[in-house]
Amino acid sequence: MEAVVTAKTARRRSPTAEPPLVRWLLITGALLFLSLFLVVPLLAVFAQAFAKGPGYYFKTLADPLTVSAIKLTFITAGIAVPMNCVFGLAAAWAITKFDFPGKNVLTTLIDLPFSVSPVISGMVYVLVFGAQGWFGPWLIEHDIRIIFAVPGLVLATTFVTFPFVARELIPLMQAQGCVDEEAARVLGAGGWQTFWRVTLPNIKWGLLYGVILCNARAMGEFGAVSVVSGHIGGQTNTIPLHVQFLYDSYNQAGAFAVASVLTFLALVTIALKAWIERKETRLKL
Amino acid sequence: MSVEVRNITKKFGRYPALHGVSLKVASGELVALLGPSGSGKTTLLRIIAGLEFPDTAEGRVLYFGEDVTDMPAYKRRAGFAFQHYALFRHLDVFENIAFGLRVRSRWSRPREAEIRERVGKLLQLIQLESLAKRFPSQLSGGQRQRVALARALATEPRVLLLDEPFGALDAKVRKELRHWLRQLHEEIHITTLFVTHDQEEALEVADRVAILREGHIEQIGTPEEIYDHPATPFVYDFLGNVNLFAGHAREGAVIIGGTKFPAPGMAGGSETPAAAFVRPHDIHVTREPGGAATFAARVKHSHAAGALAHLELERLDNGEPFTVQLSKEQFRQLRPRPGERVYVELRNVRVFPEGDPT
Repeated sequence: MEAVVTAKTARRRSPTAEPPLVRWLLITGALLFLSLFLVVPLLAVFAQAFAKGPGYYFKTLADPLTVSAIKLTFITAGIAVPMNCVFGLAAAWAITKFDFPGKNVLTTLIDLPFSVSPVISGMVYVLVFGAQGWFGPWLIEHDIRIIFAVPGLVLATTFVTFPFVARELIPLMQAQGCVDEEAARVLGAGGWQTFWRVTLPNIKWGLLYGVILCNARAMGEFGAVSVVSGHIGGQTNTIPLHVQFLYDSYNQAGAFAVASVLTFLALVTIALKAWIERKETRLKL
Repeated sequence: MSVEVRNITKKFGRYPALHGVSLKVASGELVALLGPSGSGKTTLLRIIAGLEFPDTAEGRVLYFGEDVTDMPAYKRRAGFAFQHYALFRHLDVFENIAFGLRVRSRWSRPREAEIRERVGKLLQLIQLESLAKRFPSQLSGGQRQRVALARALATEPRVLLLDEPFGALDAKVRKELRHWLRQLHEEIHITTLFVTHDQEEALEVADRVAILREGHIEQIGTPEEIYDHPATPFVYDFLGNVNLFAGHAREGAVIIGGTKFPAPGMAGGSETPAAAFVRPHDIHVTREPGGAATFAARVKHSHAAGALAHLELERLDNGEPFTVQLSKEQFRQLRPRPGERVYVELRNVRVFPEGDPT
């Protein structure tokens, strides 16, 4: 008897549920959209990459120009991401834990790279550090190369990916407030100890999440990097630039082979992101 | 004096939190800072801890005679328990308590064995030995507050500062912890200041109570002094359990309901409107007007559950309601019924001239 009653209540729709037809239509629509715009292109990348067989695929990847592009991408991200990790952390710390004049200006400035087109970000560095730029003559005189060289790539990438860590941390640290830090201070912890023992453990998952997003963008950045790079094969081409180079030289299979490396890195990023999100929610419970 | 503050003034933006507050706390004393929200009591506590600083140079904070005004919080060696505990969520109970010992510089940090022993003793003190490996999220509110207290005590602070220590707990746990705090204080005798807005809590636990209002101390004294001799209408009103009668004062007396009652302290010759405060147990009720000065009132309601009986009366002349407390014995003799007329005699009347802010 009891079982019958439970079964009946279970079958009854909850007040917020839509009728089955609507649900079915919405889910199918979403799935169709997703496969058309996400899954099919993703498969296409790998299909095109292997269009001339695995032999050609691996030959392209082993090509010195490709290897150099992959190396350069890792070097650029390897410098830009740690820098933004430190900057973002410092900015979020300053904005959320202290009150000072100009706080709103700083918050707006952090968002600037998001609102400016990456091409313009690149142009700005050319104007400042390029041969015809403000510091151009001085730099040439001292034989320092920034534009069309690795430092330019790092600068442009750092600028474009600047907001990721700070944006991730500011709401989190705002929600947490300063009470834990105050508790640590009264208990005798100095500034560094408070940071390492209290603040950092409280934000570590948010920080990691921001770093991963920042890294994904740093490796995939095209616009700003394209302007400052000068496209010197084997010297200033990152993975995205090398893909374009191959594509423009009518080597479609090669372009997609290199693109598949970038795609693979993106998939790893998504997996890491999902794992962190799970950790984060479990911690909140 | 183990804690002394002098002339503390503090503003938040344009909103004044404290002006010119001075307070002395003797060694081993347990003092309550009592006041409504916005009275500045928490700000005063935070200034003593070093979490806020006074606005002016005249404002000083002293620990055992040492001026600590310019000393940062982490050097003051004060113990502070926050209203919402502020336990470190990534550390278990043991590590939370050990925190203050672990952050010490290498040469003053106790050895691991010593830390274990000290934390173990504190766990015993707060009766949570079995929960050492739990995380704060796995504890009840009362347990969290006790861990927060143990954490504050672990560093052997010079003073213990508690911000609304029982504010977020339910009534039963509150009562238990209150007794526990009093007992704890008897055992370790550490100079303690605690902030509360609950007058019952302050009067029951503290050696002395400081009543704050709009950024200054209105009155300070033992619970008995405060309760029996409130200095201002505000203190009377805030402590509660008091009747307020509107009347007129003249030449050491107050006229209520056409009857004169002695009111020491009101010496002025001319008649002025005045507020008279009388505790419910200082009111005598009879059936007949009798010999003493009385005025007439009507019984509205009576209840006799508990050790004492309570009468709700209202004045015949202006309908002002008031409460009377009497013993079961008196209640049985009087047998008041709703609607009946009785006569009221006031004793220990305390009068303040009208216009005095309440």
